[in-house]
Amino acid sequence: MRKTLMLIALVAILPVACGRPADQGQAGDSSSRKVIQNKGSDTLVNVAQAWAEAYKEVNPEVAVAVSGGGSGTGISAMINGTVDLANASRKMKDKELEQARANGHDPLEHVVGFDALAVFVHPDNPMDAISLAQLAEIYGEGGTAAKWSDLGVQVPGCDSDEIVVVSRQNNSGTYVYFQEAVLGKQRDFRLGTRDMHGSKDVVDLVEHTPCAIGYSGLAYAGEHVKMPCISSPDGADCVAPSVATAVDGTYPIARPLFMYTSGEPQGIVKDYLDWVLSDVGQCIIVEKGYAPAKPVSCGGDAAAEAPAEDAEGEMTEGETTESSEADSADPQG
Amino acid sequence: MFEATELNLQNQRRERLFRTLFLAMTLLLILPVVVILAMLVYKGGPMISMDFLLTEPTNGMTAGGILPAFVGTIWLVVVALIASVPIGIAAALYLSEYAPDNWLTRAINLAVINLAGVPSIVHALFGVGAFVIFFRFGTSILAASLTLAVMALPVVIVSTREALQAVPQAFREACWSMGATRWQTIRKVVLPNSLSGILTGVILEVSRTAGETAPIMFTGAAFFLPFLPETVWDQTMALSLHLFVISTQVPEVPEALPYGVALVLISLVLSMNAVSIAFRVYLRGKKKW
Repeated sequence: MRKTLMLIALVAILPVACGRPADQGQAGDSSSRKVIQNKGSDTLVNVAQAWAEAYKEVNPEVAVAVSGGGSGTGISAMINGTVDLANASRKMKDKELEQARANGHDPLEHVVGFDALAVFVHPDNPMDAISLAQLAEIYGEGGTAAKWSDLGVQVPGCDSDEIVVVSRQNNSGTYVYFQEAVLGKQRDFRLGTRDMHGSKDVVDLVEHTPCAIGYSGLAYAGEHVKMPCISSPDGADCVAPSVATAVDGTYPIARPLFMYTSGEPQGIVKDYLDWVLSDVGQCIIVEKGYAPAKPVSCGGDAAAEAPAEDAEGEMTEGETTESSEADSADPQG
Repeated sequence: MFEATELNLQNQRRERLFRTLFLAMTLLLILPVVVILAMLVYKGGPMISMDFLLTEPTNGMTAGGILPAFVGTIWLVVVALIASVPIGIAAALYLSEYAPDNWLTRAINLAVINLAGVPSIVHALFGVGAFVIFFRFGTSILAASLTLAVMALPVVIVSTREALQAVPQAFREACWSMGATRWQTIRKVVLPNSLSGILTGVILEVSRTAGETAPIMFTGAAFFLPFLPETVWDQTMALSLHLFVISTQVPEVPEALPYGVALVLISLVLSMNAVSIAFRVYLRGKKKW
């Protein structure tokens, strides 16, 4: 009987006895391994994962723990101080910055790359070009385009003629950026959009729905959907979404991708961020279908150090030669 | 001689009709299970190899194995069991063997039943508030497992209590009349005779905790970790979340991969169950009534 009691006591004190290693939020651990917490944007999550995977080779003593959930998730974790690096596909709002400062964090933004926001339709859809104004009529509150015939398009397989408008859940940075860039800050999305919980879901739905139109980061749009080129209101040429057009600033809906740190990055977080922004790190983001934060050329040694991704390697090489000439200024202007 | 009347025949036909109907319904019930298993084995089977289980995911999680997720799920289940089984059994022992039938007991019973009905996403939010933030466990195996434990407690309590109450009252009375105390009775008579039933609850808990995604998503499971967890303070990957992630978030995942992960998850649960079931059958064989 005494044995039983001791067992119960042991179980009860186990969690207490282990003791929480001090200061884990800032990357401490009982073992020699140091952990960087990296959380946020679903747009960035796959790149963040690729970086974490590759960084294991660079510095085996530092482990980068990656979680998704959306830009909003990353930003609120930054506000609560539970991450070292918050990924966001939009800027932090003033209110969020205030909240973070009130909690003793001073979020500092770092541009780690750019993303072209691709608009796509079913492959059978004959539309090759769309303007920002047309997009606003499709997505915006009180918009006039509810049917494909309103845009002068006859879509085979879409008998109802009704535009199935596919969007994202509202804590997505992609959602917020699309609203700003296409609808304008004051205008809301129309009611009745299908709000998907991830870019991949948007692509999958549009791929299988002739009547649908959707948007996501360029990296998610596979070859099974059709991406019309986008023309901006100033009547400029219609620009196809690509890494190159995002970098040179001609594509009208490209956005910077951010990592936020609390104050100036230090120690292992600084090392990691420097590596992310180095040629090797930037070549990884290019491989994943995003535009780099600065011009890089990913031939030779750099490509060899990055994890092998043969399928996309050739394409990105060609594009980055082009981009290295171009200015990497913020494409939003 | 007995001559079947029209009424007899009609009854006989109805009897057959309902028998067939109920049989069909029962078979219908098995159908999804069979189809799911067949699909998983057919589509995911080719993925399974020792390499798949024992290597880390590579190439943006579209290739390689599932070692961190596999190990993580085992960590989560084991820690959740350590936390919930002693508490659950102790609570069930109190409710079944000691508690008088008064308002407090009835309130506790009501609470247990309600706890069982709370949706897992609500448990998840509770876990974030209580374990991650208030107790400062951070996002860790401990926080995730404790959330799972809270969620699984009612299952353990209810099934244990039922197992205890299945022990005939006469056994206890015989024991008491020999001068044994309540605790001695529980220790020597009630527990040994109800162990198989208690194990059923544990089996149910294992199945439930291994498959849950929502409660661990915010409390301890990560999208990707380049290391295996070493202590309960580490974050972890988990099979269920990994399955969710590669089927909804990661582009260009080969079709067989999610099926492979699902097959591993289901095999893990079934094999854990099989061990407990074998033990249960063995114990039941020794039952004295």
